[in-house]
Amino acid sequence: MGRLSWRLADVVEVRPETGRVVTLALAVPDWDGHRPGQHVDVRLTAEDGYQAERAYSIASAPDGSRVELAVERLEDGEVSPYLAGELRKGDQLELRGPVGGYFVWEPDRGGPLLLVGGGSGVVPLMAMLRQRAADGSNVPARLLYSSRDLGDVIFREELERLEAAGDGLTVTYALTRAQPAGWTGYARRVDAVMLEEVGWPPGERPLAYVCGPTRLVEAVAGHLVALGHDPSRVRTERFGPTGVP
Amino acid sequence: MSGFVSRGFKGRRRPAEQATRLPPGQYAERGFPVLSAGPTPRVDLADWRLKVEGLVARPQEWTWKEAQALPASSFEGDIHCVTRWSKLGTSFGGVSVDTLLEAAEPLPEASHAVAFCYGGYTTNLPLDDLQGGKAWVVWEHEDAPLPAEHGGPARLLVPHLYFWKSAKWLAGLRLLDHDAPGFWESLGYHNHGDPWREERYWGD
Amino acid sequence: MTMDETDLRLDGNGVAGMLAEVFGFEMTVCWGCCAGCGASNQLGAMLVYAHGMGAVACCPACGQHLLRIARGEGRWWLDLRGLAWLQLDEQARMAG
Repeated sequence: MGRLSWRLADVVEVRPETGRVVTLALAVPDWDGHRPGQHVDVRLTAEDGYQAERAYSIASAPDGSRVELAVERLEDGEVSPYLAGELRKGDQLELRGPVGGYFVWEPDRGGPLLLVGGGSGVVPLMAMLRQRAADGSNVPARLLYSSRDLGDVIFREELERLEAAGDGLTVTYALTRAQPAGWTGYARRVDAVMLEEVGWPPGERPLAYVCGPTRLVEAVAGHLVALGHDPSRVRTERFGPTGVP
Repeated sequence: MSGFVSRGFKGRRRPAEQATRLPPGQYAERGFPVLSAGPTPRVDLADWRLKVEGLVARPQEWTWKEAQALPASSFEGDIHCVTRWSKLGTSFGGVSVDTLLEAAEPLPEASHAVAFCYGGYTTNLPLDDLQGGKAWVVWEHEDAPLPAEHGGPARLLVPHLYFWKSAKWLAGLRLLDHDAPGFWESLGYHNHGDPWREERYWGD
Repeated sequence: MTMDETDLRLDGNGVAGMLAEVFGFEMTVCWGCCAGCGASNQLGAMLVYAHGMGAVACCPACGQHLLRIARGEGRWWLDLRGLAWLQLDEQARMAG
């Protein structure tokens, strides 16, 4: 499990993912590792002592002392514009954790695995898929990823590569606001019909992990249970409202 | 991690020229943060009632229409949240609590009140803090109807105390002869809550 | 954007850091029993309303308060009356 004390991490890389999202690669001294799905608390301190704290899901699979976060810059945000705008290689960042053992999937938990993510809700799910790939697991996995448009899809190329590996992962996008010319995929919000088409029948007893804005998470979890899935096999992580700091 | 400063981080605060209007320990905030300790109650205006009850000679109950017909009163000024943000120069419209209390006629032994709300929130105040032009029941914020997430249809407004005392989704005031700690007051927050004396927590 | 409880509601994950700080355990995996309806759930499944002043966590089965927590300078206040019991697992203990 994680540690309670605040620690200083070094920012080793700041990598743009989309127009709004940045990956922060951190080197955390004495990091004891983490489990896919967990998050850290990040704390910023201004010169006059003012502090702001936020939680960010870990995007990377465990990898020594390296921890990657993917931060979406929210327009009127207080913390995200700093993390995904000002912070640069060589800076330090205070963090604590990891925490959130409830929303964890590791290959030895089995499957089949249904991951449903909305917007930046895909981040902890990505850690799960990265772990799955690193372990060479072929637990059948399906990711249903809801995004405003293709440009907002985080980790798109990597997801294509993971899918192309042919180890039992399929990735389905639901683009809710705009779609590229010739798009034949889903062009609406995730609903029960989509979940039934994309997911597994309840008889397969999948493990489901749903993450993103609260509205999406609660709607999806509700649909899954209504479709007959065992509520104890549906885990949720609500991020709260979208677009609000 | 004493001493660590995040290079270049400023947060959302306003420049220091506002500093003299701020109570100790506060920062000026541009927006109006929504803080929720529970679900937002949905109250149909047809069912909404505002009560003044307890140690009063004439318990009162106003419907929405009746409340709107009361003499209008407004507040313009600053509000202060115990979480350290202050919103300077904002305005609310509604009715003065003095008007409501005059109608109800508090009994001599009434010394305190509990504000009770749709959704179950409560907060307690000395009667003194509700009288003398210091408190309102408001249904307008900056000339627009008070949104549900900010306490609409109507909230209590007691701007000289920390904003948790300005109870959202107000259903009424109950006058008592004793103090009865409310939701936050029974969970470590100060019973009175004067921002100018930094009465934030129990024991302050 | 008009917000209501649907938008602002979190779950136990949303207070994982705060609870870890108070209890010294990774609380989202620990189990609690609702004093109201008797349902047992891992705390990660609690419905949480987190506020700058503190948080209220509700039973996912019946909606009653399980716990209330407030944080002030150097202090925490806990109201655990909504829990019939709380199970802290040794494996969930966090290091300092």
